[in-house]
Amino acid sequence: MRIFKVFLLSFILIVPVKANTIYNLIKIPNLEIYRLKTSNDLKYFYAERPFKLGVQKNINCTNSNKKNYDEKYEIISKNLNRYSKNFLKKINLKYIVMCEDLTISGINTAGIPDHVMKTLIIDLKFNKKYFERVIHHELFHVINDGFKDLFNENEWKKFNEKNFKYSECSTCSKKLGLDTYQNTNGFFTEYSKTIPSEDMAEVFSHLIKNRYQDTNDNILNQKVKFIKDKLKKIDNTFKF
Amino acid sequence: MIKKIKASLFEKLIFIFLILLAIFALSFTIVINNKCLFVKNFDPRKIEFTEPENVVVINAECGNVIIELYPEVSPKAVMRFKNLIKSNSYDDVAFHRVIKDKLVQAGDLEFGKKDKLDYAKIGTGKSGLGTIKSEIDAEFYFKKGSVGLARSLKYNTEDSQFFIILDDEPLFEGEYTPIGRVVYGIKVLEKIKYSHRSEYVLRPDFINTIRMYQ
Repeated sequence: MRIFKVFLLSFILIVPVKANTIYNLIKIPNLEIYRLKTSNDLKYFYAERPFKLGVQKNINCTNSNKKNYDEKYEIISKNLNRYSKNFLKKINLKYIVMCEDLTISGINTAGIPDHVMKTLIIDLKFNKKYFERVIHHELFHVINDGFKDLFNENEWKKFNEKNFKYSECSTCSKKLGLDTYQNTNGFFTEYSKTIPSEDMAEVFSHLIKNRYQDTNDNILNQKVKFIKDKLKKIDNTFKF
Repeated sequence: MIKKIKASLFEKLIFIFLILLAIFALSFTIVINNKCLFVKNFDPRKIEFTEPENVVVINAECGNVIIELYPEVSPKAVMRFKNLIKSNSYDDVAFHRVIKDKLVQAGDLEFGKKDKLDYAKIGTGKSGLGTIKSEIDAEFYFKKGSVGLARSLKYNTEDSQFFIILDDEPLFEGEYTPIGRVVYGIKVLEKIKYSHRSEYVLRPDFINTIRMYQ
């Protein structure tokens, strides 16, 4: 026990002081405040220098330039301003981190939600064509992570045709297309077919961006109803 | 026969100079080592308070820190803080987490007491009264001197630990439960021992007492 204490003590002595409030709050280094006063109380940070996260430091992101931060902030805030302060509080989202070339284990990703730390990291370099919709897609993951029981995946899977199977994981598949299908056939995009939570996030983001028109696609109609019903349970004032 | 040699005037002057230098060096060392020398110690009895029932006096090494509590902002948190003060629970408790010019944190009643300090666990101790809910909805500006209850990463885990910020911290708004603000004696807190290497302090400074003014 004494050896353990000495070890801990030496660890405390070795760790340098990080007198940085942002780091203390969300455990991401090298960030600076971009904007604090917003209509829905979201706080925006930007990467001043590249940062690495995770136990194995497998999450990487780099800093961008001021022009890009300014441009993308306008787009991100415009999209996120549709969520009320009350709703964001319910889903536990408070901090938005802007950076470039976001990767997990070398694989590019549009965003990383962290429900526990109330944070959403957004890659500013992500494909312009889908950028706005992807913001809502990633936000849905924050919702989903906080309400796992509500968004029951087994219930969701039953909406699909019996012979359909999702992939093992979102990156285990080559179905990465984000173009919205003309003939939906139960799915909005190719990426929807990876795993249930990505399918849900695609439905949510299409609903938010008004890309959904009621069709004869019975599967998709059920999925849309499911997402709408569950969102109402979280916040009965929520409107798509 | 030993011949007496008289010191010349110059030698006498050098001798006096050396003595003066030694006295100066000694007093300078004493002054330098006394971190509390230029810190004003406020006497709460000489101050008039509008709500004396919500005034708290922390006595630390360099003097008194006078805090005004805001029960209208966080009624449950203030009640918890008052209850612990009334039972003298905070006496001899360490300022275990200190970030220079940023914040001081104390109130670990389990592992932060002077007589049973546990460096391995300090900061994780409990009061035995259970946790209370975060009270973060009221508008409160975390300006220098604001006092709040500390918590774990999750909300609703506030207990006995509290912090006082030594700089404005707008990011704390909506994050931490505010309980009051230092009205006199912030300099006393700025003199609390800190470490350049870690937020957690070895051989920390201690709270002498915390008392309600009334």
